[in-house]
Amino acid sequence: MFNFNPQTQKKLARFRKIKLGYYSFIVLSVMLALLAIAELLVNSRALVVQYEGTLYFPTYTDFHPGTDFGLDYAYETNYRDLAAQFDKTASSNWVIMPLVPYNAYENDATDSIMRPEAPNAARQHYLGTDTTSRDILARLVYGTRTALLFAFAFMVSVYLIGIMIGCAMGYFGGLFDLGFQRIIEIWSNIPFLYMVIIVFSVIPAEASIPARITLLLLVMVLFSWTSMTYYMRTETYKEKSRDYVAAARIIGASTQRIIFTHILPNVLSTLVTFMPFTIVSAIAAITALDFLGFGLPVPTPSLGELLKQGTANLRTAPWIVTAAFGTLVLILSLVTFIGEAIRESFDPKQFTLYR
Amino acid sequence: MTINRFALTLITVILMGCGSDQDATEALPSIDNTAEVLAFYETHADFFRSGSIDDLPQDLVWEDGAHLPEVGSPDAKKGGTEYVRLADFPRTLRTVGPDSNGSFRPWILDSTSMALAHRHPDTLDYFPGLALRWAVDADSKSVFVELDPKATWSDGVPITADDYRFTFWFFRTRYITAPWYNNWYESQYTGITKYSDHLISISIPELKPDTDSKVLELRPLPQHFYKEVGEDFLERYQWRFAPTTAAYILKDEDLKKGRSVRLTRDPNWWAADKKHWRYRFNIDNIHLMVIRDTAKVFEAFKRGDIDQFGLNLAEFWYEKLPATDPDVAAGYIERKWFFNERPRPPYGLWINTHQPLLDDQNIRLGIQHATNWQLVIDQFFRGDYSRLNTANDGYGPYSHPDIKARAFDIERAVAYFETAGFNQRGPDGILQRADGTRLAFTLSSGYEALKDVLTILKEEAAKAGLEFRVEVLDATAGWKKVQEKQHDIHFSAFGYSLELYPRFWETFHSDNAYDKAFLDTGEINPDRKPKPQTNNLETLAIQQMDDWIIQYRTESSAAAMVTLAHQMSELHHDYASFVPGFYSGFFRLGHWRWIRYPEHFSYKHASGSQEYFVHWVDEAIKTETLAAKDSGVTFPVQLRIFDQHRKTP
Repeated sequence: MFNFNPQTQKKLARFRKIKLGYYSFIVLSVMLALLAIAELLVNSRALVVQYEGTLYFPTYTDFHPGTDFGLDYAYETNYRDLAAQFDKTASSNWVIMPLVPYNAYENDATDSIMRPEAPNAARQHYLGTDTTSRDILARLVYGTRTALLFAFAFMVSVYLIGIMIGCAMGYFGGLFDLGFQRIIEIWSNIPFLYMVIIVFSVIPAEASIPARITLLLLVMVLFSWTSMTYYMRTETYKEKSRDYVAAARIIGASTQRIIFTHILPNVLSTLVTFMPFTIVSAIAAITALDFLGFGLPVPTPSLGELLKQGTANLRTAPWIVTAAFGTLVLILSLVTFIGEAIRESFDPKQFTLYR
Repeated sequence: MTINRFALTLITVILMGCGSDQDATEALPSIDNTAEVLAFYETHADFFRSGSIDDLPQDLVWEDGAHLPEVGSPDAKKGGTEYVRLADFPRTLRTVGPDSNGSFRPWILDSTSMALAHRHPDTLDYFPGLALRWAVDADSKSVFVELDPKATWSDGVPITADDYRFTFWFFRTRYITAPWYNNWYESQYTGITKYSDHLISISIPELKPDTDSKVLELRPLPQHFYKEVGEDFLERYQWRFAPTTAAYILKDEDLKKGRSVRLTRDPNWWAADKKHWRYRFNIDNIHLMVIRDTAKVFEAFKRGDIDQFGLNLAEFWYEKLPATDPDVAAGYIERKWFFNERPRPPYGLWINTHQPLLDDQNIRLGIQHATNWQLVIDQFFRGDYSRLNTANDGYGPYSHPDIKARAFDIERAVAYFETAGFNQRGPDGILQRADGTRLAFTLSSGYEALKDVLTILKEEAAKAGLEFRVEVLDATAGWKKVQEKQHDIHFSAFGYSLELYPRFWETFHSDNAYDKAFLDTGEINPDRKPKPQTNNLETLAIQQMDDWIIQYRTESSAAAMVTLAHQMSELHHDYASFVPGFYSGFFRLGHWRWIRYPEHFSYKHASGSQEYFVHWVDEAIKTETLAAKDSGVTFPVQLRIFDQHRKTP
């Protein structure tokens, strides 16, 4: 599929040799794959319903009112109850529920009292429930997915802008470089957290949740792209003065061609090493914002919100904070391990202290 | 309103950059309004009258409330320091004007300062404060009051009739930027007569079942302090603590901006030995610390950094501080549960009828049936709370006896929504109109601690095809939002003071809904704009309601007022712009052992245990308890339930 040059192949081979990083990468990949299909694993909607000879797959479709399955209500079917009812009546109908049959929003109080409940495999609350009897695992899974998606989107955007501007600065130099450097200096001195809080507080309440998340992303990107330009600028400067660039110029290659096909691949290795750490900081940032109450709107599941609940109920419901904190540690460590491994394997110097 | 949060943050940022506000105040030009005030008295000579003692009606029946039982306990010890949590730092020390009506004001005004007389929290009769005795004269619609000549301000200046006259000038000026006060003092009083330095009478337009309360609950203002009131009042008095009649004073150095406020018991307080007052305000220093986060407050309480903690929420009573808690089981922390009887704060959803869709009564009726308060009460509050039925529950005969809040009923809700054109469910189960308009509203609140209530309502409403977009703001921003009338639906409540009958003008009169709700022809004004800074959170403007409110204001017979109150409650219920939520018929408290209360703990009509300042700090017990905590000595468990005033539903 990919046709890497020998240099890159060598780097990849080295990456594979760094076991911690490599296995972290595999674990994270599997996690990402699972998160991508989270609706099939953690959901209050059934995977398959067989009702009166027809098969239904409600997971990704429009909602099915209870009336679709012979129930007497027009709102979303409660598939857990449906399953129980089918079992009782011993009909030919059946339901297959996901592994965790709860969504991230519903209150499922055992004895009609909403309170945090300890992990209980029999009720399929594998990590327990939060203060209003919502399944913690469900909230974790969907919260993590949002955080990761957010982090990746953040990274891609920041790099796109950073690379573009950084390369241009380094390549064109002169007044353009000088001017932009000053702009960046001013821009990067605007306190990022305040700006996020201020901008986020003026979003109209009518905005939908995805719109709010996108906006939050935009604001964060707007104030985070600057650091990337420094690296890109110096790297481009360095590469620009190399002979192969001069050669390309003499042949008559266009600026565009020189930047994209000659310089960029050569500075990429620097970039790649930064990526995991950008992701780490993005996850930390969104979690922190949530914790402070400036992140995702209530009741969107999020790691920060769970952490907050957990710290508020440290004495009475330690499982909340354990779950949230554990997840955060796991993800951040995995990404950091991968990052260190990439840095190591892309490092041209063979002898480093890290191993 | 989000713009305001923006402004607020900005202001905070700017303020942080400022040095000392004190300098700013000093830099203002000096003002003396004495002449202006006198001129005002002259031009309003029919209001500001003077008379001679000989003019007094002969048949006055003087009352002095002396027979009423003491408030507080003779066992109370003076001294000590109480540590209290403050949810937000006060944004001003003014007691009127923008931003003044916050959670801090009770500490320097509502709960601590003295009025002419106060309702006894058990009997509702008046016991004397600044007044020595008083008499109601029905003929002249006046209340005659003899002032206690011993009364002084905290700076030692005697309180005289002139301070009362000045109070009327003050609350009627536009300088204070407080339209509610302007209106109240212009419309609810018709004159004040000074007979001598310590004898006044105050007249009101109509006799009421509680005529005396209108006058007796007045609190004077120190004229000598407010002689600089002028155009720049808000700025000039922003951080100045006014001489007070209260037991507690605030020294400049005890105001740590953004962090804490310390109140000190005035050693020269004039009422220190007065009956009904001598066993109250026992604690020498009240140290108020800003702790915003409720979870943190609880931790601070458990550490003993804060002395008392309200346990009204089931989460705290049953989970976080149950009988099995080590500190409770060892008797270090005592728990109390007191059932009271008083006007209930109307917790519920205030629907802004000015917003599109919400002006449709069918939608409002649908929302009524789509909110599952019973589930919140049963599962979230564990059945301790009860369902509120109207916005004015707990006023005895004035509350409507029969109106029942609409129950959660998906079918009826859907039927109402269908009438309003929302007849199909979208892909996510939320109702839609044929043109794709979704049945979705923002449900905002400033109650961070009750945010779970909103998410439960949201989940349940979705069953009826209604979407609530939950927006939880901090307390100040939330209140600002409704005051600007920018909300769709807001979850909130009013703190009702102890009154005989409910007020309707504030919440239901069209004057408080729009700048000009109706044209002179009686038709709806097409260009009307919602009026900010009023308590008409529903932007409710019904002419019939206005008429009844005016009648209610002028009515003097209790029976007729009851009828009117019922009619208005019915109309309000039919209009369906308020979804009654819940009320708690009690308050619960956890406190460290060294905080002592009278044997009967609290009063029938009290809203909270700290309201009357009858508790005290016992330093000896504090030392003993802290030592016991270290050495592991325990005390008997203290859980007391006071249910003599409990109403079984």
